[in-house]
Amino acid sequence: MTRYAMLIDLNTCVGCNACMAACAIENQTPVWKNVWRTYVHDQEIGIGNDVRRRFFPRLCNHCENPPCLTVCPTGATYQRPDGLVLIDDNLCMGCGACEMACPYRARYELTYTDIREGKVFYGNLRRTSPGYDKCNFCAQRIDAGRKPACVETCVGASRLFGDLDDPHDYVAKMAASGIAQPLMPQLGTRPHVYYINEMKRDV
Amino acid sequence: MEVNVTYETQHLWTTWFAVYLYLGGLGAATMTITFLTDMYLKSHKTLAIWGALTGLMMVGGGSALLFIHLANHAAVVHVLNPLAIFFKPDAWIAWGTQFISWMMIASLLYILPYMIESPVLTKLPLIKTKIVSRLGSVAGSGNLHKILGMLAALSGLGVAVYTGLLLQSFPAVALWNNPGVPILFTVSAFSTACALLILIMHTFMGRDEQDNLLRRLYERADILLLATELLVIFLFYMYLTRGSISARVSADLLFHDLGWLLGFIGLGLLTPFLLELKSIFSGGHGGNHISTIAAAIFVLIGGFLLRDYFMAAGIYVYPT
Repeated sequence: MTRYAMLIDLNTCVGCNACMAACAIENQTPVWKNVWRTYVHDQEIGIGNDVRRRFFPRLCNHCENPPCLTVCPTGATYQRPDGLVLIDDNLCMGCGACEMACPYRARYELTYTDIREGKVFYGNLRRTSPGYDKCNFCAQRIDAGRKPACVETCVGASRLFGDLDDPHDYVAKMAASGIAQPLMPQLGTRPHVYYINEMKRDV
Repeated sequence: MEVNVTYETQHLWTTWFAVYLYLGGLGAATMTITFLTDMYLKSHKTLAIWGALTGLMMVGGGSALLFIHLANHAAVVHVLNPLAIFFKPDAWIAWGTQFISWMMIASLLYILPYMIESPVLTKLPLIKTKIVSRLGSVAGSGNLHKILGMLAALSGLGVAVYTGLLLQSFPAVALWNNPGVPILFTVSAFSTACALLILIMHTFMGRDEQDNLLRRLYERADILLLATELLVIFLFYMYLTRGSISARVSADLLFHDLGWLLGFIGLGLLTPFLLELKSIFSGGHGGNHISTIAAAIFVLIGGFLLRDYFMAAGIYVYPT
Protein backbone atom coordinates (compact mmCIF):
# COMPACT_ATOMS: atom_id res chain seq x y z
CA MET A 1 0.00 0.00 0.00
CA THR A 2 1.17 3.52 -0.73
CA ARG A 3 0.61 6.50 1.58
CA TYR A 4 2.01 9.63 0.06
CA ALA A 5 3.54 12.29 2.29
CA MET A 6 5.62 15.42 1.98
CA LEU A 7 8.63 16.38 4.06
CA ILE A 8 9.60 20.04 4.38
CA ASP A 9 12.98 20.93 5.85
CA LEU A 10 12.80 24.45 7.28
CA ASN A 11 16.63 24.58 7.41
CA THR A 12 16.99 24.55 3.65
CA CYS A 13 14.03 26.66 2.54
CA VAL A 14 15.49 29.90 1.21
CA GLY A 15 12.17 31.64 0.63
CA CYS A 16 12.55 31.96 -3.14
CA ASN A 17 8.82 31.21 -3.63
CA ALA A 18 9.55 29.10 -6.71
CA CYS A 19 7.25 26.45 -5.26
CA MET A 20 4.38 28.93 -5.22
CA ALA A 21 5.02 29.92 -8.83
CA ALA A 22 5.37 26.33 -10.03
CA CYS A 23 2.20 25.30 -8.23
CA ALA A 24 0.25 28.27 -9.57
CA ILE A 25 1.16 27.48 -13.17
CA GLU A 26 0.65 23.73 -12.79
CA ASN A 27 -2.69 24.04 -11.01
CA GLN A 28 -3.99 27.35 -12.38
CA THR A 29 -4.63 28.96 -9.01
CA PRO A 30 -6.23 32.44 -8.73
CA VAL A 31 -2.98 34.31 -8.14
CA TRP A 32 -4.56 37.59 -9.22
CA LYS A 33 -6.32 37.74 -5.86
CA ASN A 34 -3.22 36.52 -3.97
CA VAL A 35 -4.65 33.06 -3.33
CA TRP A 36 -2.32 30.06 -3.52
CA ARG A 37 -2.45 26.33 -2.96
CA THR A 38 0.92 26.56 -1.25
CA TYR A 39 2.24 29.65 0.49
CA VAL A 40 5.63 30.44 2.06
CA HIS A 41 5.28 32.51 5.22
CA ASP A 42 8.18 34.87 5.83
CA GLN A 43 8.68 35.22 9.57
CA GLU A 44 10.90 37.08 11.95
CA ILE A 45 11.26 35.17 15.21
CA GLY A 46 12.72 36.43 18.45
CA ILE A 47 13.14 39.73 20.27
CA GLY A 48 15.73 42.52 20.48
CA ASN A 49 18.99 41.61 18.74
CA ASP A 50 18.20 37.92 18.89
CA VAL A 51 15.99 37.83 15.82
CA ARG A 52 16.13 35.27 13.05
CA ARG A 53 14.24 34.89 9.78
CA ARG A 54 12.34 31.74 8.94
CA PHE A 55 10.52 30.63 5.81
CA PHE A 56 7.57 28.41 6.56
CA PRO A 57 5.91 26.75 3.55
CA ARG A 58 2.28 25.75 4.03
CA LEU A 59 -0.16 23.65 2.00
CA CYS A 60 -2.96 21.14 2.45
CA ASN A 61 -1.78 18.50 4.92
CA HIS A 62 -3.66 15.62 3.25
CA CYS A 63 -4.74 14.44 6.69
CA GLU A 64 -5.39 10.78 7.30
CA ASN A 65 -8.43 11.83 9.32
CA PRO A 66 -9.49 14.97 7.41
CA PRO A 67 -12.21 17.13 9.02
CA CYS A 68 -12.92 18.68 5.60
CA LEU A 69 -13.98 15.27 4.30
CA THR A 70 -16.42 14.45 7.07
CA VAL A 71 -18.29 17.77 6.84
CA CYS A 72 -18.62 17.75 3.03
CA PRO A 73 -22.34 17.10 2.36
CA THR A 74 -22.11 16.09 -1.29
CA GLY A 75 -19.09 13.80 -1.20
CA ALA A 76 -17.12 16.27 -3.32
CA THR A 77 -14.17 15.91 -0.95
CA TYR A 78 -12.87 12.35 -1.01
CA GLN A 79 -9.79 10.39 -0.03
CA ARG A 80 -7.91 8.06 -2.31
CA PRO A 81 -6.44 4.82 -0.95
CA ASP A 82 -2.98 6.37 -1.35
CA GLY A 83 -3.95 9.09 1.15
CA LEU A 84 -4.53 11.98 -1.23
CA VAL A 85 -7.48 14.16 -0.22
CA LEU A 86 -9.06 15.48 -3.41
CA ILE A 87 -12.08 17.49 -4.57
CA ASP A 88 -14.52 16.45 -7.27
CA ASP A 89 -15.27 19.83 -8.90
CA ASN A 90 -18.58 18.63 -10.32
CA LEU A 91 -19.97 17.62 -6.93
CA CYS A 92 -18.79 20.68 -4.96
CA MET A 93 -21.59 23.17 -4.29
CA GLY A 94 -19.29 25.57 -2.44
CA CYS A 95 -21.05 25.65 0.93
CA GLY A 96 -17.78 26.47 2.70
CA ALA A 97 -18.09 23.79 5.41
CA CYS A 98 -14.70 22.36 4.41
CA GLU A 99 -13.01 25.74 4.80
CA MET A 100 -14.65 26.14 8.21
CA ALA A 101 -13.51 22.66 9.25
CA CYS A 102 -9.90 22.87 8.08
CA PRO A 103 -7.59 23.73 11.01
CA TYR A 104 -4.74 24.57 8.60
CA ARG A 105 -6.52 27.14 6.40
CA ALA A 106 -5.68 25.13 3.31
CA ARG A 107 -8.83 25.76 1.29
CA TYR A 108 -10.12 28.68 -0.71
CA GLU A 109 -13.23 29.57 -2.65
CA LEU A 110 -13.41 29.86 -6.43
CA THR A 111 -16.29 32.07 -7.52
CA TYR A 112 -18.00 32.50 -10.89
CA THR A 113 -15.85 35.63 -11.30
CA ASP A 114 -12.67 33.62 -10.62
CA ILE A 115 -13.63 31.14 -13.33
CA ARG A 116 -14.16 34.01 -15.79
CA GLU A 117 -10.91 35.74 -14.83
CA GLY A 118 -9.05 32.42 -14.84
CA LYS A 119 -10.04 31.86 -18.47
CA VAL A 120 -8.52 35.23 -19.35
CA PHE A 121 -5.42 34.73 -17.18
CA TYR A 122 -4.52 31.14 -18.12
CA GLY A 123 -6.17 30.91 -21.52
CA ASN A 124 -7.28 27.32 -21.27
CA LEU A 125 -8.65 26.97 -17.73
CA ARG A 126 -9.25 23.33 -16.77
CA ARG A 127 -11.72 24.09 -13.99
CA THR A 128 -15.16 24.93 -15.34
CA SER A 129 -17.34 25.26 -12.22
CA PRO A 130 -16.99 27.37 -9.06
CA GLY A 131 -16.59 25.78 -5.65
CA TYR A 132 -13.71 25.05 -3.30
CA ASP A 133 -10.12 24.26 -4.15
CA LYS A 134 -6.90 23.24 -2.41
CA CYS A 135 -3.59 21.47 -2.95
CA ASN A 136 -3.98 17.97 -4.42
CA PHE A 137 -0.29 17.01 -4.12
CA CYS A 138 -0.35 17.38 -7.93
CA ALA A 139 -2.30 14.11 -8.26
CA GLN A 140 -2.18 14.42 -12.05
CA ARG A 141 1.63 14.41 -11.95
CA ILE A 142 1.88 11.63 -9.34
CA ASP A 143 -0.38 9.44 -11.48
CA ALA A 144 2.00 10.08 -14.37
CA GLY A 145 4.97 8.96 -12.26
CA ARG A 146 6.25 12.46 -11.53
CA LYS A 147 6.72 14.48 -8.36
CA PRO A 148 4.53 17.40 -7.30
CA ALA A 149 5.48 20.66 -9.04
CA CYS A 150 6.60 22.34 -5.81
CA VAL A 151 8.89 19.44 -4.94
CA GLU A 152 10.42 19.26 -8.41
CA THR A 153 11.13 22.99 -8.52
CA CYS A 154 12.49 23.44 -4.97
CA VAL A 155 16.03 24.80 -5.31
CA GLY A 156 17.09 23.99 -1.74
CA ALA A 157 15.65 20.45 -1.81
CA SER A 158 13.59 21.65 1.09
CA ARG A 159 10.56 19.73 -0.12
CA LEU A 160 10.74 15.97 -0.49
CA PHE A 161 7.96 13.63 -1.53
CA GLY A 162 7.69 10.02 -0.47
CA ASP A 163 5.73 7.01 0.71
CA LEU A 164 5.12 6.49 4.43
CA ASP A 165 4.57 2.77 3.87
CA ASP A 166 7.97 2.24 2.25
CA PRO A 167 10.49 1.52 5.04
CA HIS A 168 13.39 2.49 2.73
CA ASP A 169 11.89 5.86 1.85
CA TYR A 170 13.73 8.86 3.32
CA VAL A 171 10.47 10.71 4.09
CA ALA A 172 9.08 7.66 5.91
CA LYS A 173 12.30 7.28 7.91
CA MET A 174 12.30 10.93 8.98
CA ALA A 175 8.63 10.77 9.96
CA ALA A 176 9.10 7.53 11.89
CA SER A 177 12.20 8.84 13.70
CA GLY A 178 10.29 11.80 15.11
CA ILE A 179 12.81 14.27 13.65
CA ALA A 180 10.12 15.33 11.21
CA GLN A 181 6.83 16.23 12.84
CA PRO A 182 3.36 17.19 11.60
CA LEU A 183 1.56 20.41 12.49
CA MET A 184 -0.89 20.43 15.39
CA PRO A 185 -1.00 16.64 15.91
CA GLN A 186 -3.13 17.18 19.02
CA LEU A 187 -6.15 17.74 16.78
CA GLY A 188 -6.07 14.10 15.72
CA THR A 189 -6.08 14.89 12.01
CA ARG A 190 -2.88 12.85 11.37
CA PRO A 191 -1.40 15.12 8.69
CA HIS A 192 0.74 13.75 5.86
CA VAL A 193 2.95 16.83 5.67
CA TYR A 194 5.95 16.65 8.00
CA TYR A 195 8.36 19.41 8.96
CA ILE A 196 11.97 19.30 10.11
CA ASN A 197 12.27 22.20 12.50
CA GLU A 198 15.09 24.66 11.98
CA MET A 199 18.22 24.33 14.06
CA LYS A 200 19.04 27.39 16.14
CA ARG A 201 22.21 28.95 14.79
CA ASP A 202 24.03 32.29 14.58
CA VAL A 203 24.42 33.87 11.18
CA MET B 1 6.69 21.11 16.15
CA GLU B 2 7.38 24.55 17.56
CA VAL B 3 5.49 27.07 15.45
CA ASN B 4 4.14 30.58 15.73
CA VAL B 5 0.37 30.71 15.91
CA THR B 6 -2.19 33.38 15.20
CA TYR B 7 -5.62 33.60 16.76
CA GLU B 8 -8.20 34.45 14.16
CA THR B 9 -11.95 34.62 13.83
CA GLN B 10 -13.51 33.51 10.56
CA HIS B 11 -15.02 35.78 7.93
CA LEU B 12 -16.90 33.19 5.89
CA TRP B 13 -19.96 32.25 7.93
CA THR B 14 -20.79 35.57 9.55
CA THR B 15 -24.07 37.27 10.52
CA TRP B 16 -25.91 35.92 7.48
CA PHE B 17 -25.14 32.41 8.70
CA ALA B 18 -26.31 33.30 12.22
CA VAL B 19 -29.60 34.40 10.62
CA TYR B 20 -29.81 31.01 8.84
CA LEU B 21 -29.18 29.09 12.07
CA TYR B 22 -31.66 31.29 13.93
CA LEU B 23 -34.48 31.06 11.41
CA GLY B 24 -33.86 27.34 10.88
CA GLY B 25 -33.95 26.49 14.58
CA LEU B 26 -36.82 28.83 15.43
CA GLY B 27 -39.00 27.85 12.46
CA ALA B 28 -38.45 24.13 12.93
CA ALA B 29 -39.09 24.19 16.69
CA THR B 30 -42.25 26.28 16.15
CA MET B 31 -43.63 23.63 13.80
CA THR B 32 -42.69 20.80 16.13
CA ILE B 33 -44.40 22.42 19.11
CA THR B 34 -47.59 23.39 17.26
CA PHE B 35 -48.00 19.98 15.61
CA LEU B 36 -47.39 18.08 18.85
CA THR B 37 -49.85 20.42 20.58
CA ASP B 38 -52.47 19.83 17.88
CA MET B 39 -51.98 16.06 17.93
CA TYR B 40 -51.61 15.31 21.64
CA LEU B 41 -52.58 18.30 23.81
CA LYS B 42 -55.45 20.20 22.27
CA SER B 43 -56.77 20.04 18.72
CA HIS B 44 -56.09 23.55 17.48
CA LYS B 45 -56.30 24.08 13.72
CA THR B 46 -55.60 27.83 13.79
CA LEU B 47 -52.47 27.36 15.89
CA ALA B 48 -51.25 24.55 13.62
CA ILE B 49 -51.73 26.76 10.55
CA TRP B 50 -49.97 29.71 12.21
CA GLY B 51 -47.12 27.50 13.39
CA ALA B 52 -46.67 25.79 10.06
CA LEU B 53 -46.85 28.94 7.92
CA THR B 54 -44.50 31.01 10.10
CA GLY B 55 -42.18 28.00 10.40
CA LEU B 56 -42.21 27.44 6.64
CA MET B 57 -41.46 31.10 5.96
CA MET B 58 -38.57 31.11 8.44
CA VAL B 59 -36.99 27.83 7.37
CA GLY B 60 -37.58 28.70 3.70
CA GLY B 61 -36.05 32.15 4.18
CA GLY B 62 -33.04 30.73 6.03
CA SER B 63 -32.49 28.05 3.40
CA ALA B 64 -32.72 30.66 0.64
CA LEU B 65 -30.03 32.67 2.43
CA LEU B 66 -27.76 29.63 2.50
CA PHE B 67 -28.48 28.89 -1.16
CA ILE B 68 -27.57 32.45 -2.20
CA HIS B 69 -24.19 32.06 -0.50
CA LEU B 70 -23.28 28.81 -2.28
CA ALA B 71 -20.40 29.10 -4.73
CA ASN B 72 -21.95 26.67 -7.21
CA HIS B 73 -25.76 26.85 -7.15
CA ALA B 74 -26.35 24.10 -9.70
CA ALA B 75 -24.52 21.51 -7.57
CA VAL B 76 -27.08 21.89 -4.77
CA VAL B 77 -29.01 19.07 -6.46
CA HIS B 78 -26.47 16.60 -5.01
CA VAL B 79 -27.41 17.44 -1.43
CA LEU B 80 -31.16 17.58 -2.14
CA ASN B 81 -30.97 13.96 -3.29
CA PRO B 82 -32.51 11.87 -0.44
CA LEU B 83 -29.75 9.29 -0.94
CA ALA B 84 -27.20 11.92 0.18
CA ILE B 85 -27.52 10.74 3.80
CA PHE B 86 -26.50 7.23 2.72
CA PHE B 87 -23.53 8.47 0.69
CA LYS B 88 -22.47 10.98 3.35
CA PRO B 89 -23.91 9.88 6.73
CA ASP B 90 -21.10 11.74 8.52
CA ALA B 91 -22.00 15.15 7.06
CA TRP B 92 -24.53 17.07 9.11
CA ILE B 93 -25.41 19.43 6.25
CA ALA B 94 -26.63 16.38 4.31
CA TRP B 95 -28.87 15.36 7.25
CA GLY B 96 -30.00 18.94 7.82
CA THR B 97 -31.01 19.40 4.19
CA GLN B 98 -33.08 16.20 4.29
CA PHE B 99 -34.69 17.15 7.63
CA ILE B 100 -35.60 20.57 6.20
CA SER B 101 -36.99 19.12 2.97
CA TRP B 102 -39.12 16.45 4.67
CA MET B 103 -40.28 18.86 7.35
CA MET B 104 -41.48 21.38 4.76
CA ILE B 105 -43.30 18.77 2.67
CA ALA B 106 -44.90 16.99 5.65
CA SER B 107 -45.95 20.22 7.37
CA LEU B 108 -47.60 21.57 4.23
CA LEU B 109 -49.53 18.33 3.80
CA TYR B 110 -50.42 18.27 7.50
CA ILE B 111 -52.06 21.70 7.47
CA LEU B 112 -53.63 21.33 4.01
CA PRO B 113 -56.88 19.81 5.36
CA TYR B 114 -57.09 22.70 7.85
CA MET B 115 -56.40 25.30 5.17
CA ILE B 116 -59.21 23.94 3.00
CA GLU B 117 -61.64 24.47 5.89
CA SER B 118 -60.32 27.91 6.81
CA PRO B 119 -62.63 30.73 5.64
CA VAL B 120 -59.68 33.09 5.21
CA LEU B 121 -57.27 30.76 3.42
CA THR B 122 -59.85 29.37 0.98
CA LYS B 123 -59.81 32.82 -0.61
CA LEU B 124 -56.31 32.01 -1.88
CA PRO B 125 -56.46 30.96 -5.55
CA LEU B 126 -54.53 27.67 -5.26
CA ILE B 127 -56.51 26.34 -2.31
CA LYS B 128 -59.72 26.23 -4.35
CA THR B 129 -58.33 23.95 -7.05
CA LYS B 130 -59.56 20.37 -7.28
CA ILE B 131 -56.10 18.85 -6.96
CA VAL B 132 -55.39 20.68 -3.70
CA SER B 133 -58.83 19.79 -2.31
CA ARG B 134 -58.28 16.12 -3.19
CA LEU B 135 -54.75 16.17 -1.75
CA GLY B 136 -56.09 17.84 1.39
CA SER B 137 -58.79 15.25 1.96
CA VAL B 138 -56.29 12.38 1.45
CA ALA B 139 -53.71 13.98 3.77
CA GLY B 140 -56.38 14.59 6.40
CA SER B 141 -57.53 11.00 6.58
CA GLY B 142 -56.97 9.25 9.93
CA ASN B 143 -53.59 7.65 10.37
CA LEU B 144 -51.93 9.38 7.42
CA HIS B 145 -52.58 12.78 9.00
CA LYS B 146 -50.94 11.66 12.24
CA ILE B 147 -48.00 10.14 10.38
CA LEU B 148 -47.48 13.43 8.50
CA GLY B 149 -47.66 15.37 11.76
CA MET B 150 -45.12 13.07 13.43
CA LEU B 151 -42.82 13.20 10.40
CA ALA B 152 -42.93 17.01 10.42
CA ALA B 153 -42.44 17.21 14.20
CA LEU B 154 -39.52 14.78 14.26
CA SER B 155 -37.90 16.41 11.22
CA GLY B 156 -38.33 19.77 12.99
CA LEU B 157 -36.55 18.38 16.03
CA GLY B 158 -33.85 17.12 13.67
CA VAL B 159 -33.41 20.59 12.15
CA ALA B 160 -33.14 22.23 15.57
CA VAL B 161 -30.48 19.73 16.70
CA TYR B 162 -28.67 19.87 13.34
CA THR B 163 -27.99 23.61 13.64
CA GLY B 164 -25.82 22.84 16.68
CA LEU B 165 -24.30 19.62 15.36
CA LEU B 166 -23.12 21.46 12.26
CA LEU B 167 -21.03 23.85 14.34
CA GLN B 168 -19.84 21.01 16.56
CA SER B 169 -18.23 19.29 13.58
CA PHE B 170 -15.44 21.88 13.22
CA PRO B 171 -12.56 20.57 15.35
CA ALA B 172 -10.31 23.62 15.11
CA VAL B 173 -12.60 25.84 17.18
CA ALA B 174 -13.00 24.97 20.86
CA LEU B 175 -16.11 27.14 21.27
CA TRP B 176 -17.94 25.06 18.67
CA ASN B 177 -16.35 21.62 18.91
CA ASN B 178 -18.04 20.39 22.08
CA PRO B 179 -21.30 18.60 22.93
CA GLY B 180 -22.68 21.69 24.66
CA VAL B 181 -23.35 23.44 21.34
CA PRO B 182 -26.13 21.15 20.03
CA ILE B 183 -27.73 21.18 23.48
CA LEU B 184 -27.57 24.98 23.72
CA PHE B 185 -28.88 25.53 20.20
CA THR B 186 -31.71 23.00 20.62
CA VAL B 187 -32.80 24.48 23.95
CA SER B 188 -32.58 27.99 22.46
CA ALA B 189 -34.58 26.93 19.38
CA PHE B 190 -37.44 25.60 21.52
CA SER B 191 -37.26 28.55 23.91
CA THR B 192 -37.54 31.06 21.06
CA ALA B 193 -40.32 28.95 19.50
CA CYS B 194 -42.30 29.07 22.76
CA ALA B 195 -41.76 32.84 22.84
CA LEU B 196 -42.93 33.20 19.24
CA LEU B 197 -46.07 31.17 19.92
CA ILE B 198 -46.81 33.21 23.07
CA LEU B 199 -46.39 36.35 20.97
CA ILE B 200 -48.67 35.06 18.19
CA MET B 201 -51.33 33.94 20.67
CA HIS B 202 -51.26 37.29 22.47
CA THR B 203 -51.43 39.38 19.32
CA PHE B 204 -52.68 37.84 16.08
CA MET B 205 -54.91 35.13 17.55
CA GLY B 206 -57.04 37.50 19.63
CA ARG B 207 -56.33 36.11 23.11
CA ASP B 208 -59.06 33.48 23.08
CA GLU B 209 -59.95 32.62 26.71
CA GLN B 210 -60.02 28.94 25.78
CA ASP B 211 -56.33 29.16 24.97
CA ASN B 212 -55.35 30.40 28.44
CA LEU B 213 -54.20 26.96 29.54
CA LEU B 214 -52.07 26.55 26.41
CA ARG B 215 -50.53 30.01 26.83
CA ARG B 216 -49.64 29.23 30.45
CA LEU B 217 -48.14 25.91 29.38
CA TYR B 218 -45.91 27.61 26.81
CA GLU B 219 -44.87 30.23 29.36
CA ARG B 220 -43.92 27.60 31.91
CA ALA B 221 -42.08 25.56 29.30
CA ASP B 222 -40.20 28.71 28.30
CA ILE B 223 -39.16 29.36 31.91
CA LEU B 224 -37.72 25.86 32.14
CA LEU B 225 -35.94 26.27 28.81
CA LEU B 226 -34.53 29.67 29.78
CA ALA B 227 -33.30 28.24 33.09
CA THR B 228 -31.62 25.38 31.21
CA GLU B 229 -30.05 27.84 28.80
CA LEU B 230 -28.68 29.93 31.68
CA LEU B 231 -27.20 26.77 33.20
CA VAL B 232 -25.60 25.74 29.88
CA ILE B 233 -24.14 29.25 29.45
CA PHE B 234 -22.63 28.98 32.95
CA LEU B 235 -21.14 25.59 31.99
CA PHE B 236 -19.74 27.14 28.81
CA TYR B 237 -18.14 29.89 30.91
CA MET B 238 -16.46 27.30 33.12
CA TYR B 239 -15.32 25.23 30.13
CA LEU B 240 -14.04 28.15 28.05
CA THR B 241 -12.17 30.00 30.78
CA ARG B 242 -10.31 26.83 31.79
CA GLY B 243 -9.87 25.30 28.35
CA SER B 244 -7.43 25.46 25.45
CA ILE B 245 -6.00 28.68 24.00
CA SER B 246 -8.80 28.75 21.40
CA ALA B 247 -11.39 28.40 24.19
CA ARG B 248 -9.82 31.08 26.36
CA VAL B 249 -9.64 33.64 23.56
CA SER B 250 -13.31 32.92 22.77
CA ALA B 251 -14.15 33.39 26.45
CA ASP B 252 -12.32 36.73 26.42
CA LEU B 253 -14.27 37.85 23.36
CA LEU B 254 -17.64 36.81 24.75
CA PHE B 255 -17.44 37.60 28.43
CA HIS B 256 -15.81 41.00 27.96
CA ASP B 257 -18.44 42.12 25.48
CA LEU B 258 -21.40 44.16 26.69
CA GLY B 259 -23.54 42.95 23.80
CA TRP B 260 -23.12 39.36 24.98
CA LEU B 261 -23.36 40.13 28.71
CA LEU B 262 -26.15 42.70 28.71
CA GLY B 263 -27.77 41.95 25.35
CA PHE B 264 -27.86 38.15 25.29
CA ILE B 265 -27.53 37.08 28.93
CA GLY B 266 -29.17 40.16 30.50
CA LEU B 267 -31.92 41.10 28.06
CA GLY B 268 -32.33 37.81 26.19
CA LEU B 269 -32.24 35.34 29.10
CA LEU B 270 -32.41 36.85 32.59
CA THR B 271 -35.02 39.56 31.96
CA PRO B 272 -37.62 37.30 30.27
CA PHE B 273 -36.88 34.57 32.83
CA LEU B 274 -37.67 36.97 35.68
CA LEU B 275 -40.69 38.49 33.89
CA GLU B 276 -42.21 35.07 33.22
CA LEU B 277 -41.40 33.93 36.76
CA LYS B 278 -43.14 37.04 38.13
CA SER B 279 -46.15 36.22 35.98
CA ILE B 280 -46.38 32.77 37.57
CA PHE B 281 -46.03 34.03 41.12
CA SER B 282 -48.63 36.71 40.52
CA GLY B 283 -51.12 33.95 39.72
CA GLY B 284 -51.40 33.94 35.95
CA HIS B 285 -51.00 36.58 33.32
CA GLY B 286 -54.38 38.27 33.15
CA GLY B 287 -53.00 41.69 34.00
CA ASN B 288 -49.50 41.17 32.59
CA HIS B 289 -50.23 41.33 28.91
CA ILE B 290 -47.47 43.84 28.12
CA SER B 291 -44.79 42.13 30.20
CA THR B 292 -45.61 38.76 28.59
CA ILE B 293 -45.24 40.23 25.12
CA ALA B 294 -42.05 42.05 26.13
CA ALA B 295 -40.59 38.86 27.59
CA ALA B 296 -41.33 36.99 24.36
CA ILE B 297 -39.69 39.71 22.25
CA PHE B 298 -36.60 39.70 24.51
CA VAL B 299 -36.29 35.92 24.15
CA LEU B 300 -36.48 36.24 20.36
CA ILE B 301 -33.78 38.94 20.34
CA GLY B 302 -31.61 36.83 22.67
CA GLY B 303 -31.90 33.79 20.40
CA PHE B 304 -30.44 35.71 17.48
CA LEU B 305 -27.70 37.33 19.58
CA LEU B 306 -26.61 33.90 20.83
CA ARG B 307 -26.01 32.62 17.31
CA ASP B 308 -24.45 35.83 16.02
CA TYR B 309 -21.98 35.98 18.90
CA PHE B 310 -21.21 32.28 18.60
CA MET B 311 -20.31 32.65 14.93
CA ALA B 312 -18.24 35.76 15.60
CA ALA B 313 -16.33 34.42 18.63
CA GLY B 314 -15.09 31.11 17.21
CA ILE B 315 -11.29 31.23 17.35
CA TYR B 316 -8.97 29.38 14.98
CA VAL B 317 -5.40 28.82 16.11
CA TYR B 318 -3.47 28.78 12.84
CA PRO B 319 0.20 27.81 12.56
CA THR B 320 2.06 30.52 10.65
